[in-house]
Amino acid sequence: MSKQSTDADVAFIQALAELLNKNDLTELSVKREYGEDDSLEVRVVKQANIVTTAVAAPAPVIHHAAPTAVAAAPAPAAAALVEDPAQHPGAVTSPMVGTVYLAAEPGATPFVSIGATVSEGQTVLIIEAMKTMNHIPAPRAGTVKRILIEDGSPVEYGAPLMIIE
Amino acid sequence: MARRVLPSVDSTNAEAARLAAEMAGPCWVLGLEQTGGRGRRGRPWVSPKGNFYATLLMHPTEAPDVVALRSFAAALALRDALVGITGLPDAFQLKWPNDVLLNGGKLAGILLESAGQGGRVGHLAIGIGVNLISAPDPATVEPGAVAPVSLLSEIGLRVTPEAFLDRLAPAYARREAVFVRDGFAPLREAWLAHAARLGEPIRARTGTRTDEGVFETIDASGALVLRQPDGRLAIPAAEVFF
Repeated sequence: MSKQSTDADVAFIQALAELLNKNDLTELSVKREYGEDDSLEVRVVKQANIVTTAVAAPAPVIHHAAPTAVAAAPAPAAAALVEDPAQHPGAVTSPMVGTVYLAAEPGATPFVSIGATVSEGQTVLIIEAMKTMNHIPAPRAGTVKRILIEDGSPVEYGAPLMIIE
Repeated sequence: MARRVLPSVDSTNAEAARLAAEMAGPCWVLGLEQTGGRGRRGRPWVSPKGNFYATLLMHPTEAPDVVALRSFAAALALRDALVGITGLPDAFQLKWPNDVLLNGGKLAGILLESAGQGGRVGHLAIGIGVNLISAPDPATVEPGAVAPVSLLSEIGLRVTPEAFLDRLAPAYARREAVFVRDGFAPLREAWLAHAARLGEPIRARTGTRTDEGVFETIDASGALVLRQPDGRLAIPAAEVFF
């Protein structure tokens, strides 16, 4: 895939690494088909502290920066391989691949901002795909602690978007 | 199917959202005028009397990415209805994902809105606007955007909103039935058969950037696929410019 997908791919790989830790697995392999000769293969291995990725030509290969640093650390540090917002109990994650919006329209007041109090079911984001505007509600009442994406940026399925607790 | 006709409404999509909790089954909401009609990203949709403004409210059970594929079912149904009324199959093309073009001008727009909880879709509102008798002043549209046209101006045919819904509702029901039974593949094939600018260079503007490439196809998720010198780019959400 192209540069636009790179960020999404990195988010996807992070999510995999988090999944690995969360479920106490040692290895996880995923292949995603984007098109006829365009795919992303990711293998995440915990014991060796290695995250390898291979992307079929003609897309650029993505190298995850974190493992190199972690590899030098003592083995138990593997659990802290990547920061883990998706695993946070207050995480709001994306139910689909698309573009995320923090406001109903460009220039409008955002649905929420950091520190805002939200009620359960209140729209906090919109994810667009296929010109379908999917209103994402707060899963619970609470306070917006973190906003993990930028307005208008692409998001992958399962990507952490916001922390509400 | 249930149908509600309102002499005036702020937005048929907004009305559908208000009705969502009380309506168990699908329902068409037809507004004879809209006082707050809107398009993608909050852009106003000028909505005087005489044009078509309707929303199909439904409660789909699939995952959100599958629900969103109804964008293509709606575009195809709208084209079906227009071809049925005019008898001019070659005049109508589809612009990704769901605009309907008449003689290359923008005749209609579709905006879908969904809301749900826990990864499920609670309701889906498929809002459809058609310039039956009048189109906005071309000077009011964004530079580079497709110029708006109306059915009356292009073909000289006058259709009422109610009569148009009589055509559109069954046309949508047929496309929906195929989608539920056979999935996206037949919709994708039908959509590609009527796609505008397939195989030609286009631009896709997303939230943060504009990408150029040759419009190669749409993939199994409905995403626009652009071929670029260094590979392919699949885009799930964008405004397309020719």
